[in-house]
Amino acid sequence: MVRVLIVEDEALIAMLFEDLVQELGFDGHAYGTSNDALAALETLSFDVAILDVNLGTSLSYPVADALAARGVPFAFATGYGSGGVDPKYRGVTVMRKPIERGALKAVLEQLGPSPQHNPE
Amino acid sequence: MSHSESPMAAALLSGGVAADQEIVIERPNGERVAAMVRINLLHEAAGGLVGAAGCFQVIGERPEPDEQLQFSQRDLEDFFENGVVALHWVGPDGRILRANQAELDLLGYESEEYVGQHIAEFHVDRDVIDDILARLSCHEKLERYPARLRTKSGEIRHVLISSNVYSRDGEFVHTRCLTLDVTERHLAQLDLQESERRSRELLEALPAAIYTTDTNGALTFYNEAAAELWGVRPDLGTSYWCGSWRLFWPDGTPVPHDECPMAIALKENRVVRNVEAIAERPDGTRVPFMPYPTPLHDADYRLVGAVNMLIDLTHLKQAHRRQQLLINELNHRVKNTLATIQSIAHQTFRGKTDEDLKQRFEKRLIALAKTHDILTREDWRGADLRELISRLIEFACDAGERATVDGPSVLLPQRAVVPLAMAIHELCTNASKYGALTDPAGCIVIEWRLLAGGTRLQLRWVESGGPPVQAPARRGFGTRLLEQGLRHELRADCKLTFEPSGMAFEMDMPLSAAPAT
Repeated sequence: MVRVLIVEDEALIAMLFEDLVQELGFDGHAYGTSNDALAALETLSFDVAILDVNLGTSLSYPVADALAARGVPFAFATGYGSGGVDPKYRGVTVMRKPIERGALKAVLEQLGPSPQHNPE
Repeated sequence: MSHSESPMAAALLSGGVAADQEIVIERPNGERVAAMVRINLLHEAAGGLVGAAGCFQVIGERPEPDEQLQFSQRDLEDFFENGVVALHWVGPDGRILRANQAELDLLGYESEEYVGQHIAEFHVDRDVIDDILARLSCHEKLERYPARLRTKSGEIRHVLISSNVYSRDGEFVHTRCLTLDVTERHLAQLDLQESERRSRELLEALPAAIYTTDTNGALTFYNEAAAELWGVRPDLGTSYWCGSWRLFWPDGTPVPHDECPMAIALKENRVVRNVEAIAERPDGTRVPFMPYPTPLHDADYRLVGAVNMLIDLTHLKQAHRRQQLLINELNHRVKNTLATIQSIAHQTFRGKTDEDLKQRFEKRLIALAKTHDILTREDWRGADLRELISRLIEFACDAGERATVDGPSVLLPQRAVVPLAMAIHELCTNASKYGALTDPAGCIVIEWRLLAGGTRLQLRWVESGGPPVQAPARRGFGTRLLEQGLRHELRADCKLTFEPSGMAFEMDMPLSAAPAT
């Protein structure tokens, strides 16, 4: 199953992400902080990632950089829209909140292997 | 010569013979005749004096040289006495020897009140007349020496005194003094100075940075606020166009001083507005400002210089940045809250409700979020109607070519944006679920126009080509919003019609009126 890393600090929204990702046929794992996500990256391999930009007291950019270093494709999800993302990540897809099911599906399919082609 | 001193009288009184005396006789018409007079005494036989015989012999009707001399003397007297310029003589002791009528008129004195007095008594400033007399006593010539005289009534006259000394054999005889009254001119000049002073004071008092230049762009004045904004005190007359240390356009490219807005205003003799620039002070700090360069003209509309006002935009920019930050933050919070509601609904309806209903809820929520996006981008001033409709159609029913969106550019007032967006979303959903878009041949025309000078918006949504339409048996969310919600919130007249050929929605909404109370 395609494994999706989700970084989102608000619990309810993290749950929503997991549910939607699961309904679309992916395997979602949500983490509330960059550190948790980075720790997970050490032990698990992910195919694709969705990152909330603003994690309350910090930003998710360290995770974005770690993913880029590993070659894992990712997209941002933010309430700010594309204006809320550091220009250095220009070119990275930015999703808006609330989460549009169709948009999430399109992003996941565009970034990662389709759920039918299970890599494992 | 009085008649009692005439040769005849003298002869009679003395009893002697006055022989061949030369006299001048004046006729009543003013003509004068020179004559030789010989008086012969007449005696009676006994020797007593009984009378005298006078014999006049005219020695010339016009004794040329003598008479001309007298004429010229008289003319000079007349010139001195009656000329319009005030004249006087002052003796070596400072006393007035002579003054003409114009001088007496100037000071309001009679001749006997003036002549014989010391000249200093009529001067306001003792040091001035002392200096004048000192210079004259050294035989210095004075030209237009400014002084103040006091008239008999106590008024002060401003005068210019030109004077030199008449001397004979090196001896000071008297001054020849010409006094020109310049009081009016002096007062006018004082008025002018006062009005200039007041203008400067006014410019100084203004908190806005203001400076002026001549036609060549050389600085002629700047106020304290300008020096503060520039962080430097440029030299007047040798600094040109703008007193700032360095100038930049808002994008950071340097502006040569002779291409700055003030230079353009002067070179092209026109006002320059709506430009921004950045001034850099010698200490490196930068001030964003808006200049208002304005050419100045004389009464004949000739360019005489320019005035510029520099409005410091620092606080405005800061406030704008803060506002932007707050709007972004607000938007972020709103979006996260909507996402949270989405999640709550998702958890609540999980496995209990049909998927269709859940999706309808989510779509309404996302339509609301998209509307907020547009509002945020417009800083919550409102939303462009065409963009709003297009975005909602694209999101909810993706009608593509089958939807015609046509109407003039309208900025919907902010209060109308969310209710109208939700109503349009319901129309979109309805069209794709039950209406025209369920048939490949069906289409929608959405058109609007402005009425009553742009104060009313008339909008129509007309579907056609879909399956035959039946009026809904039940008033759902969409119908209620379209028929009652818009009237309630926006005082819009709304009409939903369900013709078999297709449903139609018509709305007539005030744009400028206050919301319903």
